[in-house]
Amino acid sequence: MASVPIEYGLLLAGALFALGLMGVLVRRDIVFILMSLEIMLNATALAFVTAGAKWAQPDGQVMFLFILSMAAAEVAVGLALVLKLYHQFKTVDADAASLMHG
Amino acid sequence: MTKDDLIALSPLIAIALASVVVMVVIAFYRHRLTALICSMAGIALAIAMLPVAASRAPRQITPLLIIDQYALFYFGLLFVASSAVALLAYTYLGRRERQPEEFYLALLFATSGGAALAASNHFASFFLGLELLSVSLYVLIAYPRERARSVEAGIKYLILAAASAAFTLFGMALVYAELGTMEFARIGAEMIRAARPELLLIAQAMIFVGVGFKLAVAPFHIWAPDVYEGAPAPATAFVATVSKGAVFALLVRYFANLGNETFQSFFPALALIAIASMFVGNLLALAQHNVKRILACSSIAHMGYLLVAFLAGGSLGATAAAFYLVAYFVNSLIAFGVVTVMSGRREADELEDYRGLFLRRPWLATIFLAALLSLGGIPLTAGFMGKFYVLMASVESALWLLAVTLAINTMISFYYYLRVAFMMFRDAPEGEAVPIAAPSLSVISAAALAVLTLALIWIGVYPGALIHTIQSMVAGLIRL
Repeated sequence: MASVPIEYGLLLAGALFALGLMGVLVRRDIVFILMSLEIMLNATALAFVTAGAKWAQPDGQVMFLFILSMAAAEVAVGLALVLKLYHQFKTVDADAASLMHG
Repeated sequence: MTKDDLIALSPLIAIALASVVVMVVIAFYRHRLTALICSMAGIALAIAMLPVAASRAPRQITPLLIIDQYALFYFGLLFVASSAVALLAYTYLGRRERQPEEFYLALLFATSGGAALAASNHFASFFLGLELLSVSLYVLIAYPRERARSVEAGIKYLILAAASAAFTLFGMALVYAELGTMEFARIGAEMIRAARPELLLIAQAMIFVGVGFKLAVAPFHIWAPDVYEGAPAPATAFVATVSKGAVFALLVRYFANLGNETFQSFFPALALIAIASMFVGNLLALAQHNVKRILACSSIAHMGYLLVAFLAGGSLGATAAAFYLVAYFVNSLIAFGVVTVMSGRREADELEDYRGLFLRRPWLATIFLAALLSLGGIPLTAGFMGKFYVLMASVESALWLLAVTLAINTMISFYYYLRVAFMMFRDAPEGEAVPIAAPSLSVISAAALAVLTLALIWIGVYPGALIHTIQSMVAGLIRL
């Protein structure tokens, strides 16, 4: 089987990571920020799978499973907080939640 | 896994067991005191297992965790700190929360995450510990869910923590892609013959983003004042102590495994971060009017001091860092503990709330004063001995710039610590109501604060025993 060079996988992961980071920085809607965070985490998971394939080890896929379940836990807490934010501020705009100015 | 492995792991198992017990108990019987007793019993059991586990140390358990003197020392520190937080939170939660029991659950989860970090020897356990700590911290920070500021702080922390965790993970993936291993010790060995050292440097820097975020050092500190202010006071104490201590333990172990060469290539960047943290933290603190924000800014500076000790390197530097961390834990727990017991219906975090405290509540004010002076570094307190050792270690390694910066920043920091202290001695102006009706002190909080204050003075006056313990555990780490 002709294999894809490892660099391609890492480059794709890097591009996804950059897109996710841009989303976190640019988006103002908290739900979209959470989605962008998911993209960042999935990019790292892809990088792990690629690296695992390079070394022919299962470790990369194990890390992928860890990241998957962690991202689910994170988004569960995140969405609960978004609901509470909506109750408090009547919006999901991240800029509205600025009672404290850091 | 053999029987000896399980015995060595028993402190971690005890904490995990306690969290499961608390979870089951509060599902059937909601009672604040029961939840506290279950959590405290678990933590006490974990602390009691430490000497037993020490008899089996050092021991590598699966490739993920290593139980050695170093890990056990940090276990003890983290467990004691989280039991102090649990005790201080008891009355506070009773006054303000209708369902306070899950706070203890999140506290235990976060503690086990922190302990996993202190013992981790592999990227997988590093990541799992970090995330267990983070996700529990979101819950702790946003626990008063009807309070807008807490929810805001929780969201801010969640977004930034998740983003920085993604950076750390990507760095780990790059290291793994390059070296084909995720064990710290083997990374250190493989690194020397790496084909693309510049890629590895980028990867290490990305890993440091997550660590720096948790420590709240200079470029990654923006969240600290807001989260400290928005979080309920016991959770703030936890963020300031356990979360930072666990991550710092991991940082030291990671670099100890990577070897001197990597450490030297990171030295300039880390030194810059330390200097920036000290100045940024102290200068920001000058402009704050909220006690929790002042303490948040001061904690940024304290992490800078801690990095100075870390940069000094060698066994003296590692000893100074661990000692400083213990002193910082005691100081922060007392300071946030006083804020906790002062808080009644609302959070007592404005500077005005402390006006005339010395006349109203002399003992509480004295304890707070002791913590402030210790944070500043007045002789006969734990903070002074900590600063003394850090300075000694930095001078020994001829880090003159860092030593001078530390001295200058200590001077600056006195201004805002004394500002809080003077506020406590001021008289309330005629005709005005007492700023905040400080609720009466409960026995549990009073006992926790008294023990912490005794520890503060004991470490300050008689540091020999603690230094001896730290030296023996550091010796194990350096030999690795």
